[in-house]
Amino acid sequence: MHELLLYGQVSKGRHEQVVKILAGVAAMQPRRVLKRHVVYKPQREPEEPGLVNKRGGTQSIAAKNTKQAGKTDLYFTQLVQRLTEEDFGSIVSTEQALTVEGLPKWTYEFNDLPEAGNRGGALVRMTNSTDIVGGDPHAYVTSLGNQFVSEYYIEGHLFVHENINIYLHRVLHEPGVRSLETEPKQQLPGFDALQPLDPSGAYMLEAKVRVQDINNTAVTEAAAEELRRFKTQMKGCVTMNIPDRLAMDTRIRYRPQVAQPPRKPAQPMTAR
Amino acid sequence: MSGLDSLTNVALRPWPAPKKERLEPEDLLSQVEQLARERGFLRYVTEESLQEEIATGKDVTQQAAEDDEPGTQKESQTREDRLKELGTAKNELTTELEWAQFAACNALDLISLILSKDPTKTVDRSFSALFQAQKVPHASFGISKTVDLPSERQQDRDRIEQDGQRQKLVARGSRMQALDRATDSLLSAAKQFETEVSKEAEYWEEILSISQKGWSIQRLRREGQSSMFAVRYGLPEASDHFKARGLAPLRMDKDGAIILDPALTLQPKTLRVRISDKGNVVGTSCLPLETSKADDLAIENSIRLARESLLEEELYHELSMETRQLLAYGVELRDSTVHIPIPGNGANMPQRKILIDCVVRDDNDPPIHENHSQDSRAQSVAEGLRLLLAHEHRMRLFRRSQMPPPLTQHKRQKQNPPFLRTLLAMFSHLDAVECLQAYLESTIRILSSAGLNVASQVSRETAWESLTRKIESSTRKDLSSVDQIFEAFIKPFDARATLSLPSSSSLDSEQLHIAVRTLFNSPNYGTEFKVTLPPAILSALNIPGDQRRDIKFTSADEVGSYLNWVLSLDLSHNLLRRQNPTSASVTSKNTRITIIRKDGSKKIPKDIIVELANDQLTVAIGASPMLGGAASALKFTWDGTAGAPSISAKVKALLGGG
Repeated sequence: MHELLLYGQVSKGRHEQVVKILAGVAAMQPRRVLKRHVVYKPQREPEEPGLVNKRGGTQSIAAKNTKQAGKTDLYFTQLVQRLTEEDFGSIVSTEQALTVEGLPKWTYEFNDLPEAGNRGGALVRMTNSTDIVGGDPHAYVTSLGNQFVSEYYIEGHLFVHENINIYLHRVLHEPGVRSLETEPKQQLPGFDALQPLDPSGAYMLEAKVRVQDINNTAVTEAAAEELRRFKTQMKGCVTMNIPDRLAMDTRIRYRPQVAQPPRKPAQPMTAR
Repeated sequence: MSGLDSLTNVALRPWPAPKKERLEPEDLLSQVEQLARERGFLRYVTEESLQEEIATGKDVTQQAAEDDEPGTQKESQTREDRLKELGTAKNELTTELEWAQFAACNALDLISLILSKDPTKTVDRSFSALFQAQKVPHASFGISKTVDLPSERQQDRDRIEQDGQRQKLVARGSRMQALDRATDSLLSAAKQFETEVSKEAEYWEEILSISQKGWSIQRLRREGQSSMFAVRYGLPEASDHFKARGLAPLRMDKDGAIILDPALTLQPKTLRVRISDKGNVVGTSCLPLETSKADDLAIENSIRLARESLLEEELYHELSMETRQLLAYGVELRDSTVHIPIPGNGANMPQRKILIDCVVRDDNDPPIHENHSQDSRAQSVAEGLRLLLAHEHRMRLFRRSQMPPPLTQHKRQKQNPPFLRTLLAMFSHLDAVECLQAYLESTIRILSSAGLNVASQVSRETAWESLTRKIESSTRKDLSSVDQIFEAFIKPFDARATLSLPSSSSLDSEQLHIAVRTLFNSPNYGTEFKVTLPPAILSALNIPGDQRRDIKFTSADEVGSYLNWVLSLDLSHNLLRRQNPTSASVTSKNTRITIIRKDGSKKIPKDIIVELANDQLTVAIGASPMLGGAASALKFTWDGTAGAPSISAKVKALLGGG
């Protein structure tokens, strides 16, 4: 399915006030959200761009020149785990497949590169989310041919206003070098040990409408209209606009083979 | 041509008078005034007439006086005099008008000339005609100060000095007057300010007291009123029309106290539930007006009553909406009253109906019917409906807070909240279970009086039994336990009953399972009984082993008669056959079994017919088709009284006797 998105920035000092304003707009109490995102990338290295044309010809006799398979992009994917306050500081094995409040604990998420050109004022991107209800998620994702990259945490509040999911959140991480890990942690650190990725402690406001079929213009238009209305409603409080789509690029870059120690690739989804 | 030029530029002026007779302009004015006073008019004055008058030596002033005296000549001279008077008046009028026009044009020109300095104003047309003819350019005015040379004549200087002093006096006087007026207006403004302040203070005090009691106040911007508040007393999750009604502005009256808005002075309504039995009302619910608490203002009392009335009206509205969907069950809306026939097929609830309407809430209006037997039931129905409405409001908030699914073009249908449906389901289910239980009890009584050991077990509703345990151990944090309890009432009701077959022993009891399911929606549309047959009876019924063993019925009577048939079959085919293993054989699908009795050396087949019906178990000897002829039907009946012989003994007796 596709998502239509709008983003805004909220500084740390205004966080309280914005939470109260959003609670008034959505007419509901804020719902606390704590998540852990585990980032994976495929084990296969991406091909060099432009390599396709340099493939040699075939040796078959007078065969038509079949189209060479176009290079496929490789993407970062994420495993998202829902957490509660008590989970921090305790051992949470990745095998637990319980549901938290009726919602599955682990989801395997894939976000595509957002489309160029906005539809009526919102960023559009395709996402796919699979709920994992049993077994070991890490083993499953690894068996699909991915390898662990890193993990980070998200804390925030979720509001629902008609069809819009309003998500006020920020990214936390555990400070320190973590390049040696190969699988998500078994024991979660305490909540106080986490620090915001952005040292100023600023929050991001994400307004999202999910659409089943993007080609259905009536539905897409209605969704874009709802987002526009929300944007004018939040005028004066938080400015919502469309971020740079390449900042939300989840593709894996081609890295030429040089003798360098491997660096961690940039975290996806940092809005500027 | 020069001649024409001289004609166009002619200025008519009197011949310049010699110097000593020259009159200054102000002297001329005074002369003209004097002349006008003396003569009355100057129109027909010509040189000849003046010479004439000098010649005749008349003095005009005296003439005017003399003319008044002779009264005899008055009549003949009246007409001329009138004409002269009219002419004089006409001249005066014209003169005055000309002067007035002159002065007005001067003023207009002056103002327009000053205004023409402003480039944004177009004053071209506001000059008078003469001025425009002069073609004065815009904004061409200036101020110059002239120095007045002191006049030589003494009387002029005196006059000027006197004028100056008089002007000073006048200026002082008008300044004093203006200051007086200013003080007056300031004083009155201060007084009005004081009253306004006291009004506002009173208003704010009342607003504060209302807000502290917990009512939510919001600011209203209306033209003319500076601070106007409105109290929102409606429930936050009410449906659209009632949510709009839940707002009442609070206005000030002349003392600052709050005026009751017309929305708050409506008579409060309440929901009234009546139970009628064959047309007579036998029970009423009531909600008495609570007395206001001690430190409540009158306004707070009326706000509270308004909120309760709004709740009742919303409940009535939802019920009447739901009635349309339940027309198939006999629920109807007649005379703005909802008529609900209570589903019940037993003899204990024949023609009962529930009547629901919305009436004015009144303390001193006791119900006028005599019978109050079902009052408590009506009261519980009313309270139950109110609780369901509150639950529905909470569920609206809950559903709204869930993440919405991705948008598709199918819009979600909004379903009516299930108030009447729950009520009907409750009545129907309980009644069905009771009927079933009564049947099972009587059957057990009969069968045990015949010496058979059967057991049954009935549970009224499976979810209700484990409700406390389920709520205690529930881990759902998003839904409160009250709401989880209500969820159990909105789901379809399930009851379970079991009856063991009489032919089975207590070790491996085969049981008939009867499941009662009630849901006033698809797929059941009512109460449904599902009977599951145990395998032991399948052979008797000729049902192959792999087919479904469920049969569905819609009323307890049907279940009863079917179970009678099944039990009779079981008794005849299974029990009696087991008791007479060698001599019994099944020959027909009916509840009869052929037992061959050895009479000496003859083998006489006898038919035993077992029948369970109408609260009785009957065993009879029937005609055997092989024997032919009519055989007297000897039979024995059990009807539940104790002390009867057991069935096996009786069968032996019948066989032996017959």
